[in-house]
Amino acid sequence: MDSCDTPESTPRQSASSRLKDYFIGATPLQKRLESVRRQTSFVPTPPRRKIPQCSQLQEDVDPQKVAFLLHKQWTLYSLTPLYKFSYTNLKEYSKLLSAFIAAEKQKGRAVEVGEDFDIKVIFSTLLGMKGTQRDPEAFLVQILSKSQLPSENREGKVLWTGWFCCIFGDSLLETVSEDFTCLPLFLANGAETNTALIGTWFQKTFDCYFSPLAINAYNLSWMAAMWTACKMDHYMATTEFLWSVPCSPQSLDISYAVHPEDAKALWDSVHTTPGEVTQEEVDLFMDCLYSHFHRHFKIHLSATRLVRVSTSVASAHTDGKIKILCHKYLIGVLAYLTELAIFQIE
Amino acid sequence: MDETVAEFFKRIILKIPMTEMMTILKTWGFLSENQLQTVNLRQRKESLVQDLVLLCEEKRASLNDAALLDIVYTQFHRHQKVWDVFRMSKEPGEDSDLFDMEQFKSSFKKILQRALKNVTVSFRDAEENAVWIRIAWGTQYRKPNQYKPTYVVYYSQTPYAFTSSSRLRSNIPLLGQTFETHNSTTPLQERSLGLDINMDSRIIHENRIEKERVQRVTEETFGHYPQPRLEFAQYKLETKFKSDLNGGILAEREEPLRCLIKFSSPNLLEALKSLAPAGIADAPLSPLLTCIPNKGMNYFKIRDK
Repeated sequence: MDSCDTPESTPRQSASSRLKDYFIGATPLQKRLESVRRQTSFVPTPPRRKIPQCSQLQEDVDPQKVAFLLHKQWTLYSLTPLYKFSYTNLKEYSKLLSAFIAAEKQKGRAVEVGEDFDIKVIFSTLLGMKGTQRDPEAFLVQILSKSQLPSENREGKVLWTGWFCCIFGDSLLETVSEDFTCLPLFLANGAETNTALIGTWFQKTFDCYFSPLAINAYNLSWMAAMWTACKMDHYMATTEFLWSVPCSPQSLDISYAVHPEDAKALWDSVHTTPGEVTQEEVDLFMDCLYSHFHRHFKIHLSATRLVRVSTSVASAHTDGKIKILCHKYLIGVLAYLTELAIFQIE
Repeated sequence: MDETVAEFFKRIILKIPMTEMMTILKTWGFLSENQLQTVNLRQRKESLVQDLVLLCEEKRASLNDAALLDIVYTQFHRHQKVWDVFRMSKEPGEDSDLFDMEQFKSSFKKILQRALKNVTVSFRDAEENAVWIRIAWGTQYRKPNQYKPTYVVYYSQTPYAFTSSSRLRSNIPLLGQTFETHNSTTPLQERSLGLDINMDSRIIHENRIEKERVQRVTEETFGHYPQPRLEFAQYKLETKFKSDLNGGILAEREEPLRCLIKFSSPNLLEALKSLAPAGIADAPLSPLLTCIPNKGMNYFKIRDK
């Protein structure tokens, strides 16, 4: 079923077949365009998605270089395409953004806790963080305290990190002209004030727009199913769900943790289509969890709000927060998030 | 301000240890933040007392304000008193009434004032539906003695009342009477299901019968009064997966599903009580949840039998 034992798919594979690997059937955007052309009402067919394969990073990426992306909580945003952004100007951007932040601090807008040390902004590319060759290169912005030497491998005093990426973003790439760079997924870690500052500069400089990316219960269920479907050598975390019950006057939170081996056994029993996850399987998987719970407690979890899912692959919160725990499936997780981001932009 | 009231203030404040002074004054809440800031806690106690009495005078403190300060002091020093506990018994056949705090206070005061012309009664609400009552006793001809009050602490959702032992033992029966009279004079109120069908005759409740059944079962399970405050319950489940609808799933698996379920809420039992009426849970709720108050447990390990 999952092919961790087979060699990684090579970059020599054509972009279109890799895309086909990921999406079986049309994307929601393509379907909508099609139905608009035909002037029929849009009836969504249940999506199918391929189970993330292990490590689709291109060969020239050093896993250590992306290790710092794991085990961190990232706040998610969708980002509209950047106008006249150039990868050759990264040093220039670093200077401009540093100056901008310094100016804002002077005005008293950058509220920073701690001593008033000087900061340095660094733009760098994240090689290999893409789904197909067509995807633009991902890049990283970091705010460091100036006393540290900027060095990729050194653990400097990083105050804030944000990165922009696009994983299998073909549906968006097809719609924009060459002046635009599409990196619809933005992830930030650090003080919100810094995120707001950086965001303001980008919006002014590249005429783009950030929007917080919430993840609804439907997508959380999909994520739970897909990540449970991923083959793991050993599990680092339990499979856990958190529901928030809308009862008044008191709020009630229900946390439902299943041993990861048992969750996998349940999934395997539900799963029928090799290599893919279908809507029916997601629904059935969740239904089994609901009915097991109902048998014991007589509470209908389906009537409550799914707020957080957590597996050994990654954990996601409805407020748009993600933590990726497993290097092998990093691209797979980002691919789903890119899809959500693109959907929000459209 | 009356000389006796001023003297009363002086004596109460002198009782308060310096380490507790600010806390007690703040809890009392009569003097403003600004006034409290002007107080110099480093001076000798006698001078401090004088300053404070002056502040009270400025704000026109009354005897009742002094009585409240006395209650606050006593609340902080409740352990220094010896308390008697009284338990009210219900007569068989009596209905449990909805308790109205304001009505209770008012009738309590009235009864005492009717019996003894000279009596000072003060109330201060406390946590967990409790009320502290301070009674200074006088007689037909003498003003109440503020320096030998009796305290009664009544937890309205229980049949218990605590009284600080009083030298004036003759007054105990009178206190007893206040509770008796109160309970029997409270009119029986009709149980309201919260369905006001008379509101508009064009609006009907589809599942009226089911709604009423759920309401009834919920009340039978949880009772009328507020639930004990609990924030957390945890269940370790090791049971096999069984499902009638999804037959075949995990059918051959011998091993149970290992699950850990945690419920958390600022008031868990109240939240659980509201689930069935809201349609989120079935009524009756699972005994795994409803047994919590009876068993006095909130950590469970559940296995197949």
